[in-house]
Amino acid sequence: MNMESIRELQAYGYIFFTIFLVIILYSYIYHLYKSEKDGKRNYEKYSDMALHDNIDDVPVEKREIPLSAEKEK
Amino acid sequence: MQASNVLNYDYSVAKCFTYATILFGIVGMLIGVIIAYQMAYPELNYFAGEYGTYSRLRPLHTSGVIFGFLLSGIFATWYYVGQRVLKVSIAESKFLMSVGRVHFWLYLVVILMAVVSLFMGISTSKEYAELEWPLDIGVVLLWVLWGISIFGLIGIRREKTLYVSIWYYIATFLGVAMLYLFNNMEVPTYFVSGMGKWYHSVSMYAGTNDAMVQWWYGHNAVAFVFTVPIVAMIYYFLPKESAQPIFSYKLSILSFWGLMFVYLWAGGHHLLYSTVPDWVQTMGSIFSIILILPSWGSAINMLLTMKGEWGQLKENPLIKFMVLASTFYMLSTLEGPIQAIKSVNALAHFTDWIPGHVHDGTLGWVGFMTMAALYHMTPRMFKKELFSKKLMESQFWLQTTGIVMYFSSMWIAGITQGMMWRASDQYGNLEYSFMDTVSVLIPYYTLRATGGLFYLIGFLLFAYNMYKTITSGKAILSEPQNSSPMQA
Amino acid sequence: MFHWLERNPFFFAVGVFLVIAYAGVVTILPDFMESARPVIGTKPYTVLELAGRQIYIKDSCNACHSQLIRPFKSETDRYGMYSLSGEYAYDRPFLWGSKRTGPDLMRVGNYRTTDWHDHHMRNPQSVVSGSIMPAYKHMYTNNADIQTAYAEAYTVKKVFNVPYDKPNMPRLGTFEEANKEVMKEASAIIADMKSDDVKEAFKKGEIKEIVALIAYLNSLK
Repeated sequence: MNMESIRELQAYGYIFFTIFLVIILYSYIYHLYKSEKDGKRNYEKYSDMALHDNIDDVPVEKREIPLSAEKEK
Repeated sequence: MQASNVLNYDYSVAKCFTYATILFGIVGMLIGVIIAYQMAYPELNYFAGEYGTYSRLRPLHTSGVIFGFLLSGIFATWYYVGQRVLKVSIAESKFLMSVGRVHFWLYLVVILMAVVSLFMGISTSKEYAELEWPLDIGVVLLWVLWGISIFGLIGIRREKTLYVSIWYYIATFLGVAMLYLFNNMEVPTYFVSGMGKWYHSVSMYAGTNDAMVQWWYGHNAVAFVFTVPIVAMIYYFLPKESAQPIFSYKLSILSFWGLMFVYLWAGGHHLLYSTVPDWVQTMGSIFSIILILPSWGSAINMLLTMKGEWGQLKENPLIKFMVLASTFYMLSTLEGPIQAIKSVNALAHFTDWIPGHVHDGTLGWVGFMTMAALYHMTPRMFKKELFSKKLMESQFWLQTTGIVMYFSSMWIAGITQGMMWRASDQYGNLEYSFMDTVSVLIPYYTLRATGGLFYLIGFLLFAYNMYKTITSGKAILSEPQNSSPMQA
Repeated sequence: MFHWLERNPFFFAVGVFLVIAYAGVVTILPDFMESARPVIGTKPYTVLELAGRQIYIKDSCNACHSQLIRPFKSETDRYGMYSLSGEYAYDRPFLWGSKRTGPDLMRVGNYRTTDWHDHHMRNPQSVVSGSIMPAYKHMYTNNADIQTAYAEAYTVKKVFNVPYDKPNMPRLGTFEEANKEVMKEASAIIADMKSDDVKEAFKKGEIKEIVALIAYLNSLK
């Protein structure tokens, strides 16, 4: 493959990936506000992870603790 | 786990890194002050033979503050913040505990060896990547250990969603790993030829390519060491200290993605009017301007977090440190893009305005934020009240004065020299010899060095305050929820 | 999908990595081949010059001196023809520098002599009044490391096909051959120097760092 066609491919790759990322970014913004409006999820409450961070505080969203960690206790 | 049944956060690794931050901070900044005075008084070059010249000390200063002071600061805060926002104690896993310890000791060995090798003049010449290949391998190893520690702790977390600070720590880890590996690709000459010094190597890239890779690294080392982890710190410590939730959590994650995407493109602005392809230069220039958006997104978010709570500024010096840090972040992320405009860069490049800009960010933003973080952590790690509020106040004003002296003198020096280099007389001949443009800067060099000295003295006050807190601070019984307890 | 990403550290990390790696792929890779092509007439460094280049790096000359002339009249008037990419084809690493505390050295070989450097490195203020450059007296007592320089030349020849031993290009050969060449070059430089200590040492077969450094500086044209 010669230099010109490599460059052309690169240019196409660049354009499409950039457009792809822009779409992702805007749909992310949309998602952030939409999910809050629908009451599905409140992003702002994640700030509490810093404010209530004692080890015995209730997690904002609890996660099942893997077995290995439980064993250590 | 010991006999006690109560689960607690374990700060032993964070404490070790805190000591390292203070130690390397003093060393790195002291060397900085020395080389600053050397520029005004060249006789100061000869206090230790060939080892005391500006030549040997300059890489030591940059590497010392970046990889000594700041990196240990980042690690210290990680081993503190990481546990807390994931709500899991590192002591819950013996494996992670030992990884943390090995991480610290390996880090210490690598940094001490780096200091020795830079004194000896063993260098690859690439800025902020001067270390030769044996030490590069050490750096990679300790980076992998940090990675294990990050993802290991995340693996056993109780909090399902990752707090935004964790995002920034992950990005720091990934970004530096990628940049460091690619920029330090080198071929050890001894293994090919069988002679010469065993630690010598030659760069994998040549000339213009080498420059592109280096400044892709150099610029983004700034991004992923001086910016990303510091944002991680402020997103935890400012809300925590002030008891205010982040102004807009959504904005914080949007600026995260913005910063990640845009920062890496801007490296080309270090190479304007050089021999790299024009479109790379233009791209670097444009993206540098765009970079204002995500940077200010974070900074404004931080300042607005304090909305309606500005009274805290008066009562709590830590808030003052952090608010000034975000203000300097705004200043240097505006100054940087201005310097990246091609016509401004034609004047500013190669002059003292550039180190001036760097120090706006490092002294104001990075230094203040790191010190504030350590001040916040210490009462909680050692269960002691901070030793002296008054000392903190004097430190704050001393260092702020120092920074102002530093950047104002370097602005003037840089622009003066840039103008003199290009000045021509009525016949179109150069008006000034190179020496003319140096002599005129001497007063500014003195002023700058003195500003640096103020900052160093402030840092020594900080170290003293920390020392007194740890050794003789008043004990506290229960962990303070928000603002850090301190004696008058 | 987004929320899933926020809770899955592995895929989150992959996402972050893609976003940050993208810029490097687009800006650095495309011109890699082209930028590496030498300008006609550009030659790789001789072993003595390479030894000097290593000293230039060891003492961080690049912390204060650039080797990059920008295409402005004020710069070409002061330093000579602006830089071309192909002139750096054999520079590993590149030494453009980022700060001009002292003047640019890209073409210093065109307007400074061995004798000038000899005095200047020993005592800069004796030649340039008011200079803030430190003196480098240790370069007059330390020996240049010819072996490591040869190792570097040999390595770039083997690994990167740098054209040593080609017609009209510097000779490399075995270490013994290269060393003979080094001694010849060094003696020509030392003949132009006034430093007696360096001359004495050369009679004993030692080449001081300053000789190699001057060889390198003279090669910058």
